Amino acid sequence: MRLSFGSIKATRTLILLLPLAVISAVAFSCVAPSAGGGCGGPGAQGWSGFASYDGVLYFGSMDGKVLAVDPVARSEGLYFPSEREWVFSIRTQAPQGAPCGFGCMPAARPAAIYGTPAVTETLVYVGTYVGDEGKVFAINRPKPQYDEEGIPSWTEGEWFYPRGERGSIGAIVGSPIVHGDTVYVGDSQGKVHALDAVSGTRRWEYETGGKIWTSPAVKDGVVYIGNYEGKLHSLSSDDGSLLWEVELPAAIASSPVVSGNTVFLGTFDHYLRAIDGNSGREKWKFEGGNWFWAAPVVMGNVVYAGCLDHTIYALDARSGKELWQFVADSPIVSRPVLVNDLLVAISESGQVYAVQAASGVSQWNTSIGYSVMAPLHAEAGMVYVHTRNDEVCSIDVQNGRKAWEYLLVSD
Amino acid sequence: MAELWNTFILEPVLNSLIALTSVVAGNFGVAIIVLTVVVRLALYPLTVRQTRSTKAMQALQPKIQELQKKYAKNKQRLQQETMKLYKEVGINPLGCLWPMLIQLPIWIALYQSIMQALAATPENLLKLSEHLYSWAAVSQAVPLNEQFLWLRLSRPDPNLILAILVGGTMWVQQKMVTPPATDSRQQSMTSMTTLMMPLMFGMFTLSFPSGLALYWVISNIIGIVIQYFVTGGWGYLRSPAAPKPVPARKTEPAQQESPTIKKASRDKKGLFKK
Repeated sequence: MRLSFGSIKATRTLILLLPLAVISAVAFSCVAPSAGGGCGGPGAQGWSGFASYDGVLYFGSMDGKVLAVDPVARSEGLYFPSEREWVFSIRTQAPQGAPCGFGCMPAARPAAIYGTPAVTETLVYVGTYVGDEGKVFAINRPKPQYDEEGIPSWTEGEWFYPRGERGSIGAIVGSPIVHGDTVYVGDSQGKVHALDAVSGTRRWEYETGGKIWTSPAVKDGVVYIGNYEGKLHSLSSDDGSLLWEVELPAAIASSPVVSGNTVFLGTFDHYLRAIDGNSGREKWKFEGGNWFWAAPVVMGNVVYAGCLDHTIYALDARSGKELWQFVADSPIVSRPVLVNDLLVAISESGQVYAVQAASGVSQWNTSIGYSVMAPLHAEAGMVYVHTRNDEVCSIDVQNGRKAWEYLLVSD
Repeated sequence: MAELWNTFILEPVLNSLIALTSVVAGNFGVAIIVLTVVVRLALYPLTVRQTRSTKAMQALQPKIQELQKKYAKNKQRLQQETMKLYKEVGINPLGCLWPMLIQLPIWIALYQSIMQALAATPENLLKLSEHLYSWAAVSQAVPLNEQFLWLRLSRPDPNLILAILVGGTMWVQQKMVTPPATDSRQQSMTSMTTLMMPLMFGMFTLSFPSGLALYWVISNIIGIVIQYFVTGGWGYLRSPAAPKPVPARKTEPAQQESPTIKKASRDKKGLFKK
């Protein structure tokens, strides 16, 4: 190769600058790792599903707000918020020990809401994820209050947990579950919290020894919860005492679902497992092509499970034998729903599929046009979807037509 | 392009790192250290070549500076003489660039693998599933345990320990190969460059996952060890004196024009003075 003096100088400069440029480019693309952005992937935005009460949908937006959306008002195109609708902003502070980043930018971040809220007649329960920290909020369901400046103000009956010196618990990814007069929730520090649903005071707390990013399941006085150490715990709902625990070969990927005396859950070794609810003994396991991330749906003797291998499997709940499978266009991240004799599922790319629950034969499919990770919700013949661009869509189960859509607008 | 990168570079490194975590009893910190050592050892021949080439280039600087002084007013002549000098000593100025270019994708893949494997948020964990092989060692290790010594590997080190280690090791590594400049302007620039990089990376460490900072520290330490043995000691870190020129294969005094140069000069005269 013939080199000129100029090219030698350029080469020297290149030698100095190239590693710096490349490393800096990659490095800067990974800024704000605690928020999870950068080259590690997308940041924490949440994927809340819907809970409903009296026909109104309650959910968390991707910018950390809790919303009440009335499908009737949306279908009529009324101005938001209409009479039964509201938006509640969860105010967060910088997490303790937050690093001072470049230029010491403020480290406060909005709360992400992953779990589907739990709703009672008076309160909406939401778990939040702010870096390593989380809180449980109980918000006035009919209408939260605001002060003159439009800042949410606490009214009688509302509460948040924890209060005082403790400040926060571990970040919450799973949904809070209300059973009787108690709220159950797991956190990223591996603790299960049982709180009084009315006052928010702690009833009991249980340390599982591993990160919890799934929801608990409560049935017949027993709380079932899995953690990332691969342990499924069975606790007394009264006092949190351990009934049994079982260590599975891999960490638990999906929230457990209880039907009869069997607990169904997915593990990171690509298996969907059926565990005896009384003893923790494994009844059967079924291998998919990737993780069973979404919680399965159980109806009668059939388990419907969406897998990240793009497939929806229908399995015999007693034996784990495959009854049918339906292949979608992309991974199934969201939990499907059963509406009458149809199973409605959505792929990550936003393709909605309605298949006959008995046979897996396709009835219709339609595209939302946006990515979806939140679980589906079905009510009164409609399926509701919360997309990754913070849009709410309503789809008619009969024909797959989009009835209405509403794009949430951030402040 | 991104797909090719993921399939052939990122995913093999990422899955090896996760599988290695299973082998070392689920300790991701140890896996980062082991894989960094393995990768640096695999790239050892290239690193040695690059280090030698850089050292030879630096050792040649006094001669080049002499030429620059001598032919300050004749750029073309300077170019010819410099090229000749490189040829005589047997150095290809691009010699230290190629090993670096080959190593860069592997460094970046290792870097990205650490970031992706740590999966700091639920979205990150879900995204990780797209890149994992169906190896038992991989599925049993995921999600990774991020605790290592006092560190949570997906979060920045709350103390200054890692920042000091990253900055310190980087400074030592740079200082070992950076010769002192002869004029004051160049000297201030050199010392600024030597300080800037370690300071910058020390700052990065305060905001970046400590798993990544751990990789930087180990990589720097290995770099120091390699430089120590290849260049035969602490280099300019211990004796910040002006570099001694390396013996040329066929040395001629720089002041004396070589027959080739003489011929080239004559040709040029001939060209311009018709």
